[in-house]
Amino acid sequence: MTGNAMTEGLELRRMGSGVVIVATGGALALIAIVLTARHGVTEWQYALVFGVLIAVGEMVQFRVDRIRNRAPIATSAALAYAVLRGPAVGVPPEVAQIIAVTAVATAAGIVPRAIAGLWWDIVVSCRRGISVACAAVAFAVLTTPDLVWTGRWQEAIWIAGAMLAAVLSAGISDALIGAGQATERYNRPFPAALRDELSVMTRIGLAMGITGMLLAAATALLGLWGPPVVLVPLLLTQFAFRRYSSAQRTYRATVRSMARSTEIAGFSSPGQNARTAALAVAIGNDLGLTPARMEALEYAALLSGVGQLALADPSPGGASLLRTREERQRAAEIGASVIERSGVLDHVAEIVRHSNDPYRHGRANNSAIPVESGIVNVALAYEQLVGEGSGQSPDKAMESIGLGIGAEYDPVVVESLRRIVGRGFRF
Amino acid sequence: MNRRVLLQLVVVVTTITAVVILGFAVANARVDAPAVCLGLLMLAGTVLRPRVGQIYRTSLDYVVVIALYLLSGVSSAILVGAVGALGQDRRHPLQKKIFNGAQSVICAAAGGAVFNLAGGPSGDDVLRHPWDAVWSTTAANATWLVVNALLLCVVLSLEPGDPTPLAFLRKVALPTSPSLLGYGLLGLLLAVAWLSGLNFLSVLLIFIPLYVSRWALSQYEAERRAQAATMRAFIQVIETKDLYTRGHSERVSEGVGMLGRQLRLPEDRQQALEHAGLLHDVGKVGVPTSIIQKPGRLDDSEMDAIRLHPARGVELIGNIPFLEEVKSAVLHHHEKYDGTGYPAGLSGDNIPYFARIIGIVDAFDSLTSTRSYRPARDVEETLDILIHDRYSHFDPELVDAFVEVIRARGWKTAADQPAPDGSVTVAIDHDDLSLGSGGGASGNAAGPAS
Repeated sequence: MTGNAMTEGLELRRMGSGVVIVATGGALALIAIVLTARHGVTEWQYALVFGVLIAVGEMVQFRVDRIRNRAPIATSAALAYAVLRGPAVGVPPEVAQIIAVTAVATAAGIVPRAIAGLWWDIVVSCRRGISVACAAVAFAVLTTPDLVWTGRWQEAIWIAGAMLAAVLSAGISDALIGAGQATERYNRPFPAALRDELSVMTRIGLAMGITGMLLAAATALLGLWGPPVVLVPLLLTQFAFRRYSSAQRTYRATVRSMARSTEIAGFSSPGQNARTAALAVAIGNDLGLTPARMEALEYAALLSGVGQLALADPSPGGASLLRTREERQRAAEIGASVIERSGVLDHVAEIVRHSNDPYRHGRANNSAIPVESGIVNVALAYEQLVGEGSGQSPDKAMESIGLGIGAEYDPVVVESLRRIVGRGFRF
Repeated sequence: MNRRVLLQLVVVVTTITAVVILGFAVANARVDAPAVCLGLLMLAGTVLRPRVGQIYRTSLDYVVVIALYLLSGVSSAILVGAVGALGQDRRHPLQKKIFNGAQSVICAAAGGAVFNLAGGPSGDDVLRHPWDAVWSTTAANATWLVVNALLLCVVLSLEPGDPTPLAFLRKVALPTSPSLLGYGLLGLLLAVAWLSGLNFLSVLLIFIPLYVSRWALSQYEAERRAQAATMRAFIQVIETKDLYTRGHSERVSEGVGMLGRQLRLPEDRQQALEHAGLLHDVGKVGVPTSIIQKPGRLDDSEMDAIRLHPARGVELIGNIPFLEEVKSAVLHHHEKYDGTGYPAGLSGDNIPYFARIIGIVDAFDSLTSTRSYRPARDVEETLDILIHDRYSHFDPELVDAFVEVIRARGWKTAADQPAPDGSVTVAIDHDDLSLGSGGGASGNAAGPAS
């Protein structure tokens, strides 16, 4: 695990378009550092304070809400430095200096993590650098260096508007890059990926951007008192998100563990649920489902066998007893009512309930049945054919699933499965 | 004088104080742009409040009041604080609403007095003397929190029932005050952003991040509830295999919760203990149904299958990031104090603390529930059995604590159980002390009933 984390940050083979992002970020940083070195650093104490903030934020990063940017403090601090103005700051930092400070501080934050063997990702850090560069350029274009906070609303509105534009340009550029990466990595349709990235941006992304604006305004007016005063509420916010993400992790792990109970009880072979879920997720990505629906789909695929627990014992070989459709549908019904009882996974229960309905009797005539049910149905069937032990070739399995198109299986889902297998999906 | 009268007296006194303060505030208040704007914001907050819930209320209120200390002076801040008290939960009785309103006025006034004493700056002086602003608003904020907690303590000590003032201080006031102090700095920042020339737009800079962090906190609560609900639902499925053990895990969780509170465990461990109580038999999912439902005695291999269930349980929950104590409790809940239990044969204090607790409640619930081969025992009789088996089965100190808490607070025994089945002579509940065979116990508990 540690070995993995160590190499994760710099494995070129798996990075794909990440190479381009890292190259762009690296080139930007290099040019900026050279330019700054030639001109000299202005207002070094502010550069130092914001650099330290960025580095510390990078060091204490954590994962939240499925976005890849894990360092909200670093992001807020870097954005704030990009939109800094007087009166407290005599000479506002130039674009090159902003990029250079961000780059050096980010590197200073990453190195300890890499040494300690913690998770780090050079691509994510470069993405942040690029979006900060966008913000700095946008802000420089919209303002002049002698525009300062005077306490009058005319200047304040102008600066705040420029700040907002800068923060938005950072957010949008990052969303575009992120959507491109999601399309490349998970084969999501680009518009769906962009929609997801933008919707994430309106939550934690907005908080990071606005906090950056607040930090910049407070520093401009209070001088070096600004960063510590803003930092306290910022840390509390980070703490709130941290607790949220740890509760989220716990919950996901709980659902996964519950799903494994069918394996321990002998109803399914080891890893069967995980394989089914992986395939269902791949299909969901291919069809561009929203993140919330993706989550329900994954849970439904994991939990689709839970109903069997309430039935009789499995046969000695461990194979499923449920040969007939009626038995399988009954198990699905029981599973759905079990999941419903939790009171929080109603959508998951609905998917599981119809996961064994044949297409012809189900979704073809009843649009209330979610497409996710069809996905789970196909994923279960494919896993049974190809998964461990049964060992059919993917082509053979596709052939026999193809025979059931329209009657047994949802044509849209089978088409998607064909694409995924064609791209080389393996369990 | 009884408590009711005393309570009414307290309400009357606080209300009169608040009214006097309000009178002074009205006389001295400055009606300027910040006071009007933030007052309107407060009013909007009171309208929206029923939808967003209590948790948002305090944070919004005192952030605005602190900003107004700096922008418009203490009197205006008190008035706006009083506006914030207008919107309250409709279900509260009138007396409570009046007291809450008076309380927020007194808190705002106390905070304001300290703010003035500390030499708090106002207007553009805030930007010239940042340190004075930081220090005086923090002092005012701390005063606010202390006065608020004191007033609540007075009421709680006069109102019968939970929570007691001490429990309130320990569980609510102390843990939340550092973060509330921290968020108080947002009040200062609101004032600074206002003075920057942004005027009422400064509200957006402050409340959007605040709202997002509150959103994260509420999501945290939602995830936690979801997890608890999911675990309970799952446990119920496992228990469907056996009519007689239905509800057992939830009752054990309840029981260890009672014992844990008696032992004054800190909040995170208390939670972990309740989880462990709920999940202690989760490994039974790996025991074939035919064995669980088998009437009659089990042979050695079947008994071995039962004895595997703690290890199966740990295997199942191993990936959930619980405290380590939860896993060790699930693994060792069938150890006995004299070292004759399973799976490891640990004895005495070598048995994990949580496992010793769960062992007691587990046996207690089994004995007070109906089994196919015997009726339920009553609570007193079962407590006597536990007391008799101190040292041999159970940690004596924990047994004493458990007996004390059950005698003080009572126990809700299993309901809706089928009557004992006369056709079955002996079957097995692996938790049942009254059975001498492998998994069960020996000695006193094997009473005349079987």
